[in-house]
Amino acid sequence: MRLTIDRDRCEGYGLCADSAPELMHLDDDGELVLDHEDVPAPSSAAAETAVRVCPVAALRAD
Amino acid sequence: MTPTLTPHSDVDLFADPVLEDPYPTYRTLRDLGGAVHLARLDAWALTRYDAVRGALGDWQTFSSSAVALNEPVNEMLVGTVLAADPPEHDVLRSVLADRLGPRAVRSLQADIATRAEALVEEVVARGEFDAVTDLAAAFPFAVVFDLIGLPDDARPNMLRWADATFNVCGPMNDRTAGGLLVVQEMFEWVATLKAGDLLDGSMGRAIFEAAEAGRIRPESCIPLLAAYATAGMDTTINAIANAVHLFAQHPDQWDLVRADPALLPGAFNEVLRFDAPVQVFGRRTTRVVDVEGTEIPADSQVLLLYGSGNRDERHYADPDRFDVTRAPVDHLTFGYGTHGCAGQALARLEAHAVLGALAARVHRLHVGEPKRHLNNVLRGIESLQVHGVELDR
Ligand code: HEM
Ligand code: SF4
Repeated sequence: MRLTIDRDRCEGYGLCADSAPELMHLDDDGELVLDHEDVPAPSSAAAETAVRVCPVAALRAD
Repeated sequence: MTPTLTPHSDVDLFADPVLEDPYPTYRTLRDLGGAVHLARLDAWALTRYDAVRGALGDWQTFSSSAVALNEPVNEMLVGTVLAADPPEHDVLRSVLADRLGPRAVRSLQADIATRAEALVEEVVARGEFDAVTDLAAAFPFAVVFDLIGLPDDARPNMLRWADATFNVCGPMNDRTAGGLLVVQEMFEWVATLKAGDLLDGSMGRAIFEAAEAGRIRPESCIPLLAAYATAGMDTTINAIANAVHLFAQHPDQWDLVRADPALLPGAFNEVLRFDAPVQVFGRRTTRVVDVEGTEIPADSQVLLLYGSGNRDERHYADPDRFDVTRAPVDHLTFGYGTHGCAGQALARLEAHAVLGALAARVHRLHVGEPKRHLNNVLRGIESLQVHGVELDR
């Protein structure tokens, strides 16, 4: 599974990072940073939750 | 599928008794199907969580050109962020997000918290107050008015204008007809505004600066300004009013929040799920589309019932129970996707500030019966008398 952010859409709510802190975080400027674009198998459920909670549909997992 | 098999209903979703308590009606509609044809409106209600969420995530099929449920108002809304589809939408949205996104509102947090504490301190000391007019309405009104930088002569009218703006997004009923006159009045006033009328450094001024810089067309300024002013007040006001009401009704849930302030953000999400301030907005189908086995024709008016999706037993266990530990981050109250509420970071900041200030001081609020405020789109309370405050012990 691979995560991608649509930078034009992401407004930095960070709800994704709250639900999958092992995969992503907000930096000091409030920009989302993906720490693992290729999601390790044990984290795939967390990745799906992160995608689901993004309020503006900026995050995708394929 | 033959027409007789299509889920359908004769209910008037906008009749007073349904607006007083829409949830039993929503349940009936959900049990009929994810998409139900409403005969009175010749429109399609999306009732279940997955159906509403699916439509919100698919702007190509569900266009916002019919975000209101009547054509005259949809024509009025052309050019607003709410009614625009991409790519036009995204340009307008980026101007708002610059100032409303989480990165931008972070800097407002300290000031908003201080103001919330002062107001809560004052009303609580009085012992008797109206939780809506004195607290839930007073606070967002003051905060948003200053952030947009509106001139003072709008103060006496703004809430009446905002209420009407939501009413006219309903179907063409008496409430909409009455609201149209008021909205006309608002647009006439807003249209007179020039950059210099808005406070230096305010969000309102930033809209005019975006036009000067060529990011948006000059004629977009007034609709964007109107969107800020109306979307930013009534919604948050009703969310805070609903929160106070729910916590007064459910003291056990209030005790949980007081015992562990880290629960507050999740608890506010549960308030939003339980009673969505915005119950419905519309869409127009751009093609024939299948929603949970029901075929909706192209060019149909669709109703997104956020408040029904939030109570869908297919998605939330025991949905009519108010449970702050549920912390439902995926509720539909701010919409989702392309038009997902641009002001949600600010709304959360305001609500957390007020509820946090109450939680720090108040053990119990004793309230009377709420007087509901009926609006085609909003679910809110007009007045909620507090006749006793038990302070911390
Ligand atoms: C609890 C409070 C609030 C609620 C429940 C709420 C609800 C909503 C909903 C449901 C939508 C989506 C409309 C759709 O799907 O077509 C929306 C959009 C929007 N909201 Fe909010 N809102 C709140 C607070 C605010 C605040 C404080 C502001 C600004 C100061 C704001 C500004 C906007 C704007 C500009 C849009 C349009 C976004 C777009 O079309 O891209 N809202 N809101
Ligand atoms: S939740 Fe969505 S908008 Fe927020 S930081 Fe994550 S991807 Fe960006």
